[in-house]
Amino acid sequence: MLEDQDMSVQEAAAVAQDARARARKELLISRPIVYTAWGLVWLFGYGAMWLSVRGQHPYTGPSGVSIAVVFVLAAFAIATVLVIASKTVAGIDGKSTRDRRIIGSTWAIGYLTLLIVAPVISNSVSPRTLAFISFAGPVMLAGLTYILASVLGRERPPLALGAWLVIVGASCAWQAPAAILATCALAGGGAFLLMAVIGTRLRTHGS
Amino acid sequence: MAAETELDPVIHAPARLRVVVTLATLRDGDSLSFTRLQELLGLTPGNLITHLRKLEDAGYVTTLKTGSGVNARTSVSLSQQGREALNTYSAVLRQLLDSASTNGTSPH
Repeated sequence: MLEDQDMSVQEAAAVAQDARARARKELLISRPIVYTAWGLVWLFGYGAMWLSVRGQHPYTGPSGVSIAVVFVLAAFAIATVLVIASKTVAGIDGKSTRDRRIIGSTWAIGYLTLLIVAPVISNSVSPRTLAFISFAGPVMLAGLTYILASVLGRERPPLALGAWLVIVGASCAWQAPAAILATCALAGGGAFLLMAVIGTRLRTHGS
Repeated sequence: MAAETELDPVIHAPARLRVVVTLATLRDGDSLSFTRLQELLGLTPGNLITHLRKLEDAGYVTTLKTGSGVNARTSVSLSQQGREALNTYSAVLRQLLDSASTNGTSPH
C-alpha cells in the first residue's frame, strides 16, 4: 500500500484539476484583461484622434481634447494592468520577475524616446512623417515589445500579436495622417480585442 | 524502459499533490513565497512545512530562506526532478483513469 494514499484515482484527478485551475487563476496575469484594456485605449484613443482630423484640409493634427482622451485612457489602462499584475505576482520571484522588468523598461524607454523626439523634429519634417513617427511609432514599439515578451517567455500568442502590430505600424508609412490613425485604431486596437476573445476562450477551455 | 504503472506515493496525497501542481504553474526558474503558497492552499504553517519536507526529501521541491528577523522570507520552487515526477504522475493517472473507464471499474 502506498504511504499517505487516502484518495482514489478519480479523487486525485479532481484534486489536480482543481489545484491547476486555482493556481492558473491566482498566479497567472489575466492576458484577456490586459489585451482588453489596451484594445479599448487604442480603439477609442486613436479613434478620437481620427475623428478630430477627419476632413481637415490642410492637416493640422489631432485636437487637444482627443489627445487628452488618449492620455486619460492610457493612464486608466496602465493603472488597471499594474493593480492586476501586482496582486497576481505577489510572492513570485525569479526569472519571470526579471523578464517583466526588462519588458516594462524596454517599452517605457522606447515610448519616452518617442515622446521626446516627436516635438523636437516637428518643425523639420513633413506633417505626414511626424504623424507616422507619433502615431505608428508607438504601435511598432508595442509590437517589438510583445515579440521580446514572447522570446523571453517562450510563448506564441504574444509573438503573433507583436508581429501583427509591427506590420500594422509599418504599413502606415504609405498612408496619410488621417488614415494612419484609422489603421492604428481598427487594426491595432482590433487585434488586441481579438486576442482578448481568443485568450478568454482558451482559458475557458483550460488550455 | 518500462512504463510506470504505480502512482508516486510522495505526490499521491491531497495536500502534496496540490503543492506540486501549484508550483508547476510557475515558470521554470520561478519561486513562490511560503506565505503565498500557504494562503493559496489554505494549510496551516505546520502542515505545509511537513508536506514540503517530504517533497524536499524526495528532491521534488527546493526551499530557500533569505533575510532574517522581520525580513525573513522562505521561497519554494519545484525542481526539475519534481516537474518530471509530476509529468509521470499525471501520465500514470490518465492511464489508470482510461483503464478504469474501459473496464467499468473504480480503481483506488
